[in-house]
Amino acid sequence: MADVFSPGLLLMLMMSSLDWLSTPGSAFLFDRDQAKSAPLEPHFTECVSRDLETFRCWWSPGSFQNLSSPGALRVFYLRKDSPLSEWKECPEYNHLNRECFFDTSHTSVWLPYCMQLRSQNNVTYFNEEDCFTVENIVRPDPPVSLNWTLLKVSPSGLSYDVMVSWEPPPSADVRGGWMRIQYEVQYRDRNTTNWEALEMQPHTQQTIYGLQIGIEYEVHIRCRMQAFTKFGEFSDSIFMQVTEIPSTDFTAPLTLILIFGTVGILIVIMLIVISQQQRLMMILLPPVPAPKIKGIDSDLLKKGKLEELNFILNGGSIGGLQTFSPDFYQDEPWVEFIEVDEEEADSREKEDDQASDTQKLLAPPQPISDHRTIRCSETFRHPEEVFDHGSCYSADRLEEDSKVQMDAPPPGQAGDKESSTEFAERTPALDRCRAPPVQTQTGTPQTWVNTDFYTQVSNVMPSGGVVLSPGQQLRTQESTPASEHGAQTKGKQRDESGDMDGQRQKEPQFHLLVVDPEGSGYTTESNCWQNSTPSNSPNPGAGYQTIPPPPVEIKPAASADANRLPYILPDSPQLVAPVADYTVVQELDTHHSLLLDPTPIQSPPPCPSQPPLKTQIPVEYITPDLLGNLLP
Amino acid sequence: MMLAACSVWLLLVCLVLYSRLKVAASAPTCTNGQAGCHVLSLANLFDRVIQHSARMHGISNDLHSEFELYFLPSKNQIGRVSRNCHTSTILTPNGKENAQRMAREELTEVILKLLVAWGDPLWHFHQSLAHNHEFSNFSSNKSLEMSDMVHELRKGVQKVIEKMKMLGIIGNSLGGLGSSESLLAPVSAEWRLMKDYDLLYCFRRDSSKIQNYLKILKCRIVPEHGC
Repeated sequence: MADVFSPGLLLMLMMSSLDWLSTPGSAFLFDRDQAKSAPLEPHFTECVSRDLETFRCWWSPGSFQNLSSPGALRVFYLRKDSPLSEWKECPEYNHLNRECFFDTSHTSVWLPYCMQLRSQNNVTYFNEEDCFTVENIVRPDPPVSLNWTLLKVSPSGLSYDVMVSWEPPPSADVRGGWMRIQYEVQYRDRNTTNWEALEMQPHTQQTIYGLQIGIEYEVHIRCRMQAFTKFGEFSDSIFMQVTEIPSTDFTAPLTLILIFGTVGILIVIMLIVISQQQRLMMILLPPVPAPKIKGIDSDLLKKGKLEELNFILNGGSIGGLQTFSPDFYQDEPWVEFIEVDEEEADSREKEDDQASDTQKLLAPPQPISDHRTIRCSETFRHPEEVFDHGSCYSADRLEEDSKVQMDAPPPGQAGDKESSTEFAERTPALDRCRAPPVQTQTGTPQTWVNTDFYTQVSNVMPSGGVVLSPGQQLRTQESTPASEHGAQTKGKQRDESGDMDGQRQKEPQFHLLVVDPEGSGYTTESNCWQNSTPSNSPNPGAGYQTIPPPPVEIKPAASADANRLPYILPDSPQLVAPVADYTVVQELDTHHSLLLDPTPIQSPPPCPSQPPLKTQIPVEYITPDLLGNLLP
Repeated sequence: MMLAACSVWLLLVCLVLYSRLKVAASAPTCTNGQAGCHVLSLANLFDRVIQHSARMHGISNDLHSEFELYFLPSKNQIGRVSRNCHTSTILTPNGKENAQRMAREELTEVILKLLVAWGDPLWHFHQSLAHNHEFSNFSSNKSLEMSDMVHELRKGVQKVIEKMKMLGIIGNSLGGLGSSESLLAPVSAEWRLMKDYDLLYCFRRDSSKIQNYLKILKCRIVPEHGC
């Protein structure tokens, strides 16, 4: 079936055929170089079909100019539709163009045609290579009606896309399906010479991407039959150009302005924040109030000057914190400062731990042998204070007039103290003012144990004196002091010192502190002093210390009456036993009398209308009527 | 949590694939226009067939030009070749008017005859190319492709004929596959005498015919879809 080509023959044929790159059917395009050397005989230049229905052939006389006249050469063709076909003459001549036109009736597709030229002399110029089939010589007409539309401009405004559309050549029966045409679009920059070719495609529109704005482009199209090789001619060119669109210019600077504006605002905000950093920090993060210790400079703390701080805290100077106190605590009367020496603190630890605060504070200043110095400083701003938290003895008391003191500790205190009756004794009273701390100190300190600062008011004297009841632990001893008091009343003129001494050795006495209900209830040094100076003068009110004005009246009156006691002895078995340590003050009378709770055993009800009995005196309260009864 | 999501996703994918497979599997059974079947329209069938024939013609053209490069005959052998085509006996319209004037059934029959006539020769052509070491693999592959395409195109055209018969466009005068082959039986022996180049030339011409006839047929029967 197949010819066997030896490899050598093949190579030879290949070598020789390199110049013979002729398309199939294009019999007229063989090498002309060979013909140039020889005289060129008449030949066909080209046969072309445009629509696969008709075709034309053009010939040339060649170098035979005598045959160039019209009619000198005749065209004959052979259509090989059967083995018995004949040569026929050209159906239609066009001598001006030297063209032979074959219409549809003379055109058969898929049948080979051979062309021949014959002169008048019956000289035949025939080339076998001039045979063809019609479908192979088809060159479609170029498309028509080219136009372009702008598809899209890029956001950068530099390039754009274009859609080119056209119509198929009218001569080609595309609608009937007789011809299937492929199109090739080419474009170029008008100033350049190279064309850009796009891919073949059978549709009648094509998109061109990436054209630059401002450049004028030239576009033309050619077409060919599908699966065939011969192209038609190029269509007429169209020109397209897109100039810069002003809208893009508008938007670009706008975005730039926005960007720069925001950046500038950000910078300004940053500058503000940095410059006002402190204030912003105060607003956003307010400082937490730190505890302020008055007298301590916080800056010292910050600076780390601990030495000064320690100096301040420890009170290196005698003043220490004390110096600050009057200045800083003007408004707070309840504040009291207690100064304690370091020596005192050390020595105190050696003492009995059970010593109460009272004992500690009331420890009198030792004689020279004892270096103990207890200094108490009390500041009282309001003289109306009745109770003191701690009474201190101070050797400097006499000099300190500004300080008010409770002269005597509560009656429940150490028995070394003199009884209240001894207060009438001036000199010893004075001494008592001063010395008692010493004297008491020599006594048994054991009596100081478990003593309280507080005492109980059991009765109020008409003269204004207050009867204090002893503490709970001393109730059993009350009878003796009562008797002692009775003894004292009888012999109030006796030698106080001797009695005092005797009494000192007896049961622990108690002091009665009389508080004037009207005026200030404190006995001052002046009282002590005053009472002590008239030592020999009968002083009915010696049993107690009172404010000078009231007792002055009472004293001479009381002295006349032996029964008139500067104070009223409470009926001890009646009143003392059931009386508790403290009596509740029920209410205050208009006359500043204390109304105390009635005791259950109290047999005589308080009857202000009754004549006041000498022995039975309502202890709950004393009304002015009672006072009148009491008084002579 | 992630495992659950992955499993759900896999399940969805499997379901989709299964549904697709079901659709694909059900396609061959759907030949008589059953309800619910995805049936191709006649125009669509024509388009596919026409595209197929165009591709076939392109391959034949490429092979022919390749043969001309390697085995350039000294002269244009068109005249010589035309006498040897084995399909010359088949009456084919040689012009547009002739083709348009021809009845649908005749045109369809011509197409079918051509396709049937070229099945075996191309197969043998491929075999000869494959065994002949002088040819490149590219040529051998193309010849194989060409051979396969002829067979598939024939099946496609038969489907189109069936569709047309079903739609009543053409009558039942067209014979089946067997009759077509019987028509070409006496012709089939001639192609063994042809050379490869002539075979290619002839096939190139016939593939062009097939393509043209199919297009004409489509534009005559279903012209509304892009003619």
